[in-house]
Amino acid sequence: MSAYLTSPLPFVLASLLFVSIALLHLTKKNAIAVWLYVVQASAIALLLLLASVHGATVVLVLTLAATVLVKLFIAPAFFFRLIRRHQLRFSASTYLNTPVALFAIAAIVVLTRAIVPNVNVALTPLGHNLLTTSASSIFVSLFLLVNRKGALSQMLGVLSLENSIVAFALFAGLEQGVALQLGILFILVIWITIATVFASMIYRHFGTLDVTEMQTLTA
Amino acid sequence: MTLLYLLILTPLVAGLLSLLPRTAFVVGAVACSALLVEFVSGLIVSAEVVRNGSVAAGMLFALDPLGAVVALIVVTLGLGATLYSVGYLRAEVAKEIIGFRRVRQYYTLLHLFLLAMLVAIASTSPILMWIAIEATTLSTALLISFYNKPSSMEAAWKYLILNSVGLLLGFFGTLLFLYPAIHGNPQGLVTWGDVLSRAPALDPVVAKVAFVFVLTGYGTKVGFVPMHTWLPDAHSKAPAPISSLLSGVLLNVAFLAVLRFKAVADVALGPAFSKELLVFFGILSIVIAAFIIFSQGNYKTLLAYHSIEHMGIIALGFGFGGIAAFAGLLHMIYHSLAKSALFLASGNILLKYSSTKIHNIQGMLKTLPLTSALFIIGFLVMAGVPPSGIFITEFLILSKGISINPWVAGAALFSFVLVFAGIIKHVVPMILGDAQGLPRQGEASAWTTVPIVVLTGLLVIAGFFIPGWLQALLHASTARY
Repeated sequence: MSAYLTSPLPFVLASLLFVSIALLHLTKKNAIAVWLYVVQASAIALLLLLASVHGATVVLVLTLAATVLVKLFIAPAFFFRLIRRHQLRFSASTYLNTPVALFAIAAIVVLTRAIVPNVNVALTPLGHNLLTTSASSIFVSLFLLVNRKGALSQMLGVLSLENSIVAFALFAGLEQGVALQLGILFILVIWITIATVFASMIYRHFGTLDVTEMQTLTA
Repeated sequence: MTLLYLLILTPLVAGLLSLLPRTAFVVGAVACSALLVEFVSGLIVSAEVVRNGSVAAGMLFALDPLGAVVALIVVTLGLGATLYSVGYLRAEVAKEIIGFRRVRQYYTLLHLFLLAMLVAIASTSPILMWIAIEATTLSTALLISFYNKPSSMEAAWKYLILNSVGLLLGFFGTLLFLYPAIHGNPQGLVTWGDVLSRAPALDPVVAKVAFVFVLTGYGTKVGFVPMHTWLPDAHSKAPAPISSLLSGVLLNVAFLAVLRFKAVADVALGPAFSKELLVFFGILSIVIAAFIIFSQGNYKTLLAYHSIEHMGIIALGFGFGGIAAFAGLLHMIYHSLAKSALFLASGNILLKYSSTKIHNIQGMLKTLPLTSALFIIGFLVMAGVPPSGIFITEFLILSKGISINPWVAGAALFSFVLVFAGIIKHVVPMILGDAQGLPRQGEASAWTTVPIVVLTGLLVIAGFFIPGWLQALLHASTARY
């Protein structure tokens, strides 16, 4: 297991990631949701920086640079532009109200802590708290996709899921794998571009990003 | 080796060249030429695989027997869909549904779609395969929203989000499978060979969790129930040639990914775990799709749900294993040919009647005689009417299944009967029906009929005769399952 993972900082960053995803369930304003995504992205960038400091490779450094550029600058710029252009100050509502959503998040965390440790021990015996926290982030991100009605929220849910998976992989000691880095770079650049274009097109057709207003399909 | 590079790079070059022409004729000619090159090189590469067991091109690409079967399906149906597209798009331009700019976009995205599928099939790395399958999602999302209508936008958005989530879960499962290999080779690109050789070192709990994530993730792309909700909308809203590729080809590429990871899971855990999961998802997909098919009102959506049912049958075959796995792979070939022909025929119906609602379609035998005949043949084959090839494969799968799990085999048989009843219920009124107020008789052009004739001809012939080289390829592909 990578030495830097024994310090307190990775656990702080993992917790920051989890809390920002949980808060995405509660925020009512799209701008705050985007800033919460920036917080997540910063946590991931700092984790990649830590990994680079302890064992730099060209591809890892490139991944860090791309992560900072795309997640901290380009993606938020795309989202803020979408919000400004279509005046989307307030995000669409959730299917569950706040107390129920919080209860669901708590239940997800408890279940994850009960089930995931067996996997964690097999992967990295010393880092199971980090892995459990990032596994909780994965499932809370999935819940975000289900719970919120806005297309922008769904995009942030997908990107939060990706951040959580990256964090899990980093904590499992996979940061040196070219595999992880290639996957990150690809999904960042292409997916964000296409999803943002689609979100604009949806607003043009439906006059809203609330996905419950999209009821043209009968299948 | 060179031909494998040619097979993979041709759609890339064709996609770039498609941006240059200023007439639909030239861009269509580029597309047809490229697909001819891909078809011929696909045949030659497959022959090489039959002779030598596999073909490699550098460190990034290689084709084994299973990959060769799926690649052959891609190039054959790709050629058919591209030839059909020439006539289909010409008719749509004549009706002023689309303009030249859209035609050019269509062909560019089509080539990128084919490129992504071929890279997914031939890549030596699980991560490159994942990236290529994600690329198919992105290119086809734009094709599904091709007509820029609210319903197609909604279908494309649903497709993009659900498949992206599914593929992220598949990515997570992939990373778990790669764990021992990455720790043994941190700098290089981990290959399928590395993953298989280190599979015995994979912790059983990790292997189970990884396979569940992979099956759920890539299974979303395959269209297994309950991850299927994007499929009927996406396949019904896309242009007909794209629907034929989505149903007849892309689902197989995603299932190939599942099979590759199944091989790894079988080494780490033994075959029972993955087989039980495939049987579960297979029978669930078959039964749910059968009930929905019976109550469908849209013929393109009917075909899409039919695809869900047939991917369930293929999964069932590989879940039962042995001769059923061989039958499952053969079923994949028959389903691909039939579904592609049926979707292309549905394109002719849409051009003639301007509606996808079943109750708006009557008297096809008078207005589209050739398309009707091919439509009937395609549906009879898909329904498993003897002596079609699909009847044989379903029989083999069920006969193996009865000895393993009679309840599952019984549920599948009931579902097949329900699907047959549903097909008769929907298709007969479309073909026959009231002659008053029918559109003008006649097919649109040879471009929109000859590809369907060829695909249907191949389907019928393959039901009675499988060449020795293809039999050898099928046996080699399914030996480990």
